[in-house]
Amino acid sequence: MRVTNLIAALTLLALSVMVLSGTWALPYWADFAPGSAFAPFWVAMVGMTLAIALFVTTLLDTSSEPNSFPDRHGIVRILALTAGLWLMVLLIPLLGFMSAGILFCLFLLLGIERRPLLPSLFTTAMIAGLVYGVFIAWLGIALPAGPLGL
Amino acid sequence: MEALASLAHGFSIALTPTNLLFVLIGVTLGQLIGALPGIGPSAGMALLLPITFGLDPVTAVVMLSGIMYGGMYGGTLTSVLVNVPGEAASVMTAVDGNQLAKQGRAGQALAVAAIGSFLAGIGSVIALVFLTPPLSAFALNFSAPEYFLLALLGITATASLGSGSAVKAMIGATLGLMIALVGTDPIQGTSRLTFGSLNLLEGIDFLPVAIGVFGIAEILVSMEQTQSGHVIRTRLRDMWLTGKDWAACRMAILRGGLVGLLIGLMPGAGPTVAALLAYVVEKKASPHPEKFGHGALDGVAAAESANNSAVHGSMIPMLALGIPGSASTAVLLAALVLLGIRPGPMLLTEQADLVWGLIASMFIGNVILLVMNLPLAPLFASILRIPYSYLVAGILIVSLVGAYAISLSLFNVGLTLFFGMVGYLMIRADIPRAPLVLAVVLAPLMESSLRQSLMLSEGSPAIFIERPLSAVLALCVVVSLTLPLFNVFLARRAARRAGVAEALSHSSD
Repeated sequence: MRVTNLIAALTLLALSVMVLSGTWALPYWADFAPGSAFAPFWVAMVGMTLAIALFVTTLLDTSSEPNSFPDRHGIVRILALTAGLWLMVLLIPLLGFMSAGILFCLFLLLGIERRPLLPSLFTTAMIAGLVYGVFIAWLGIALPAGPLGL
Repeated sequence: MEALASLAHGFSIALTPTNLLFVLIGVTLGQLIGALPGIGPSAGMALLLPITFGLDPVTAVVMLSGIMYGGMYGGTLTSVLVNVPGEAASVMTAVDGNQLAKQGRAGQALAVAAIGSFLAGIGSVIALVFLTPPLSAFALNFSAPEYFLLALLGITATASLGSGSAVKAMIGATLGLMIALVGTDPIQGTSRLTFGSLNLLEGIDFLPVAIGVFGIAEILVSMEQTQSGHVIRTRLRDMWLTGKDWAACRMAILRGGLVGLLIGLMPGAGPTVAALLAYVVEKKASPHPEKFGHGALDGVAAAESANNSAVHGSMIPMLALGIPGSASTAVLLAALVLLGIRPGPMLLTEQADLVWGLIASMFIGNVILLVMNLPLAPLFASILRIPYSYLVAGILIVSLVGAYAISLSLFNVGLTLFFGMVGYLMIRADIPRAPLVLAVVLAPLMESSLRQSLMLSEGSPAIFIERPLSAVLALCVVVSLTLPLFNVFLARRAARRAGVAEALSHSSD
């Protein structure tokens, strides 16, 4: 957990610096009232203070609590799932939301979870039916369609 | 008497066929969501919020709140039968409930949890009926400084009353404030932190943050390993409580309900803290504390009564003041805003149908949940045997379609995935996510009331302590910030004393 805490502290520090530099050109005080940079300035200050507090308390902490990240197998599963989700989002403009969603379901069930073919196909059909029934037929939301019209 | 007349009017609204149907849908979904490990009521509400867009506001809110308190009932099933808490507030139920199940008393554990949740829930809704109107009337005296301090208190209290590190909870809240700063300045109209992106000009919507940080993140954690849990079977005839069981649990239900209501009223604490505290209180009050951790029926009763009572109790500050006290009420508040309703002390007068219809629906919903969790518990338990991986695919697709439905933009789908990854890293870095979501919801109110206050006082911060009401709130903020430091000091002193005592015992050897 020690390394995780140090990384978290550095990330917060970087984000605080980003907030501060991103609003540096905006007015802190405008005539008679706080300006657009007023709140970002104080949020960045609080962020920096907390980052330093986490950094110092982690360095002073002598306990050796292990980090809670998964093992290699778990990391591979998470990376595969995340990659599948991002790929689905990238494929939506080309294939349509439903088609990309169906491909993602099959990838998840057959590729990552290694489930049997027939239950996976049945589950995918159920999900597609649910999305079509609720979002397209009931709520009338126009999901992006691809060459297959889905 | 006026409250009772309003409640009767609320029943006339809640009992219309459409609203009744959506109460049933809400509590059934809540029961299922609570039972699914890896997805809690806040995530479930955020995921299902887009499907309420076409509904009447009252119908939408009764359904979403049904998911919120239905989740408390559903979490018991997984805790008792699989030894995995369906949601965080059921963690203490898993300790004793599963031990009871292993002793062949799963039915009694489920029955006492259902009855305890029902009685405490109804008690808490009665408190809601009588406490909300006077609190709302009192809050009409609030002006900009009080609103700023109240919103700030909502965030700082989350940090000090939570069960983990206060610094990490404050980091979660700060991240939420940073997210809320993105977009157009609400007062001067200048763009902030958009980095030239047109998609960010209107700011980051609450839903991609909530769906990502709660829904996607929890699924990523649950996907780290293949889910496999042994589900202990239970039958309807095993669910009868004996007179001895009832005698052992009735005071636990009362104590748990009261603890839950008080904790629910406090901003930031929520049902998980309520269940933990009620369990500790019950262990101290119990004539057989040695049974706790090894299958104490009164431990299950206290924890389950407290979490359901806290969920209903947290509605009081949300409805009366417009300040959410927990992640679930933050999602509900965001739903009100998306439905075009302005939360705050005027809600009770401006939207009386909605508030009283919602309160009445909670009485009805709790009755439905009692039926679902007593005679129908074995039926819902059978759902736990469906392999989790089949459900994950559906939850992910519905989440992303929901994120798209908010603004018909793929940018929001990408944002949802991004915040899902952020939420996952927060879980693994042990940074609580509820303060982040609360901060995203409260930030606009905080910033506008802070700037209005300083405008009124021409820049003098004394405005925050000039009025007695604001001075009390400012004191509460200071106390909530110093409480974690005080706890650290007490813990160090106790450790030092223990060290001295150990050294003395070694020297006497």
